[in-house]
Amino acid sequence: MNKILLMGQANVGKSALFNRLAGARVTESNYPGTTVDFAKGRMRLDHEDVEIIDVPGTFSLEPKDRAEEVAVKMLDEEKDALVVCIIDSSKVERGLYLALEIIERGCPMVVALNMWDVAKNSNVKVDAKKLEQILGVPVVPTVATRGEGLKELVLRMKKAAPADIEKIMEKAGGKSGTHS
Amino acid sequence: MEKKLSEMKYTEKGRIKEIDKSLRAQIAGMGIREGKEVEMMTKQPIKGPVVVNVDRANTSIGLGLADKIIVEVER
Repeated sequence: MNKILLMGQANVGKSALFNRLAGARVTESNYPGTTVDFAKGRMRLDHEDVEIIDVPGTFSLEPKDRAEEVAVKMLDEEKDALVVCIIDSSKVERGLYLALEIIERGCPMVVALNMWDVAKNSNVKVDAKKLEQILGVPVVPTVATRGEGLKELVLRMKKAAPADIEKIMEKAGGKSGTHS
Repeated sequence: MEKKLSEMKYTEKGRIKEIDKSLRAQIAGMGIREGKEVEMMTKQPIKGPVVVNVDRANTSIGLGLADKIIVEVER
């Protein structure tokens, strides 16, 4: 694993998390062929120096605009990258849609349940352990703006592995998608 | 009563009954699916987008898309 992609829907705190993880070593760059910006930085993981990329926000992996196209393209190109899927804890269902799409592609993933404090304040309770059990990937509550849960998140990045979508459906008691 | 999402009034609530096949996958990532409860938050003038609340999240949808979503409205 040589790269970490921070992915998530718009406004879930990807950049906040990025700035925390990459520290002051942030560089801005332009993706060729588009005007959409993404940020690149470096962080230490298990005594290794790895590149971390702040991917533009996307609702799903079916791109609807240029920024989303960039996000999907990056995921396509970085085959062996680790994906940190960031979900707004107060809007979990929406975020899981993207998370499951990424899992379906076979990417090793860690889920950051970000804005944990916001969810708590608005009385939303999320069972992170249960979610982890169902998804089969590490799920860590975080508050990126205050740096809470980030140590745990980084620690558990090492344990990230691709999950099996069939197993997830079994555990969640769901059926095959009827999407057309 | 059934109506298009685009026809809902401010603060009106309802349940999504039918989404046109062509845009189902497109808006599923926004948490908008059949069976979901929605509340109209804002309608923008000059054929602007509508803002609806789904699962505590405000989401704006273009009027063209909102035209293709059928909602069972609460009375």
